[in-house]
Amino acid sequence: MPDLIAEPFAFAFMRNALAAGLLTVFASSLVGTWVVLRGMAFMGDALAHGVLPGIALAYLVGGNLLVGGALSAVVMIVGITLVSARSRLGEDTSIGLLFVGMLALGVAIISRGGAYAGDLTTILFGDPIGVTTSDLRVSAIAAAVALGVTLALYRSFLVLSFSRAKAQVLGLHPRVAHVAMLALVAMVILASFQTVGTLLVFAVLIAPPATASLLARRVPVMMAVSVLVGSLWVFVGLLVSYHLGTATAATIAGLSVFGFFLVLAGKELVTRLRRPSFPAVAEGG
Amino acid sequence: MRPQHADDAMATAPVVPAVRLRSVWVRYGPTVAVRDVDLTIARGTTTAIIGPNGSGKSTLLNTLSGLIRPTHGVVEVLGAPAARGSRRVAHVLQTTVANESVPLTVRETVRMGAYGRRGVLGRLTAGDRRAIDEAIDRMRIGDLVDRQLQELSGGQRQRVYVAQGLAQRAELLLLDEPITGLDLVTQETITATIADERAAGRSVVLTTHDVGTAHLADQAVLMATEVVAAGPPRVSLVPEHLATAYGGHVHLLDDGTVVLDEPHHHDHRYDDQLRG
Repeated sequence: MPDLIAEPFAFAFMRNALAAGLLTVFASSLVGTWVVLRGMAFMGDALAHGVLPGIALAYLVGGNLLVGGALSAVVMIVGITLVSARSRLGEDTSIGLLFVGMLALGVAIISRGGAYAGDLTTILFGDPIGVTTSDLRVSAIAAAVALGVTLALYRSFLVLSFSRAKAQVLGLHPRVAHVAMLALVAMVILASFQTVGTLLVFAVLIAPPATASLLARRVPVMMAVSVLVGSLWVFVGLLVSYHLGTATAATIAGLSVFGFFLVLAGKELVTRLRRPSFPAVAEGG
Repeated sequence: MRPQHADDAMATAPVVPAVRLRSVWVRYGPTVAVRDVDLTIARGTTTAIIGPNGSGKSTLLNTLSGLIRPTHGVVEVLGAPAARGSRRVAHVLQTTVANESVPLTVRETVRMGAYGRRGVLGRLTAGDRRAIDEAIDRMRIGDLVDRQLQELSGGQRQRVYVAQGLAQRAELLLLDEPITGLDLVTQETITATIADERAAGRSVVLTTHDVGTAHLADQAVLMATEVVAAGPPRVSLVPEHLATAYGGHVHLLDDGTVVLDEPHHHDHRYDDQLRG
């Protein structure tokens, strides 16, 4: 049994993959907590895929992929805000329009560029076992920024999540806080798409915080539980993928979601066991 | 109207009303929610804004905290133009406005009120902490401080939100439907606190669609998009005025009690107007 764990991590690429995964989980737990609490999951998903055209274009012209992705994210956010403000459509429709439009554009650019399908797969699913030291540096910076902004804007984020109107009357700048949240989501996605891929970023943005929300009674606790739960699945996922030869990112993403349902089922079971069953009481009396 | 109990310190300062509205209009697209309201509210008084659903009473209250900017007209609060984030105004929103899926304890929720004074980064002072504790005592939620917001009854939750407003230590307290349809303990606690605030020289403005509640205030403002009547409740809430505001669904019982026939508290005309 110890060999099952020790053997894979004897390889540097596995240790790098673990480090990248843990840093991603740390940043995505802090940011994902607000995404889950504010019901912004669709926005997160859209951003995760909407960065594609910028990345593809940057790839084709040999530019910086992060800058390309960031420009795409800005186009998405501005587009969604404009469509919501200028039409009677709800935000989900605006997000959907930009999401599908940008994804289509990204795929079109990649196919026109004659690049092989592997590029798209790398963006969607990452290459966790090909993580370089410079990738790790980017992930570490993203984790530090996520922590710094979460601490600095905690009150604004908390009250905005509780009630936008309350944040307005208390002068806590909800609009700035909302934009800061979107920027953090975009940052987490961009910092990790090369390592773990957008699918896994989105999974760890949602699944560990959602799992933690089943267990935690305060927001900081929810963040901490999310980091722990997410880290566990990164570790287990890497081992499973190593031994069974499954795709790394998909394995971790799948396990994170599985973990949510496991906790949900466990919680349901505990509630049922604790609750006295009424028919039995009635029959006894 | 002028404050009736201006103390010596205040006597030297010019008397600034708590609220002064001059020809205030609020439109949502083609829909008029508030029509040409002129209103002055003296400091240290309680005012009830009453009217049927969609009569513009919450909209009017929202202009006082700057949450809604009037399309036309001037809103002055405590001598300055109404603005969001004023430390001097505490606005307790309707409980339905809050997202209760956020895991929050009662104490954390009350604490938020103090953020209005300290902003995003400022440390809470000993005075803030005292105000938080006092607010919790006054709303009789001391035994609930570590409970989750989601676990509370509607009345308990309303008391938490009022405590949040009190923790802000503001001079003007705005309450949106603070006691409608809630349990007796909650109604009594909040009513007593409104009286205490007034006694301490602070001003309270609340909305209600209950005539009985409005009668507890110094001044009642009867709304039906525009002001139908304003003044002491026994003058402003007479059956003729109520009939105008509520569109004839008013019955006067033999003992003088006014009964409003407002099915499900709904007037579809006003609902449609609000939806635009």
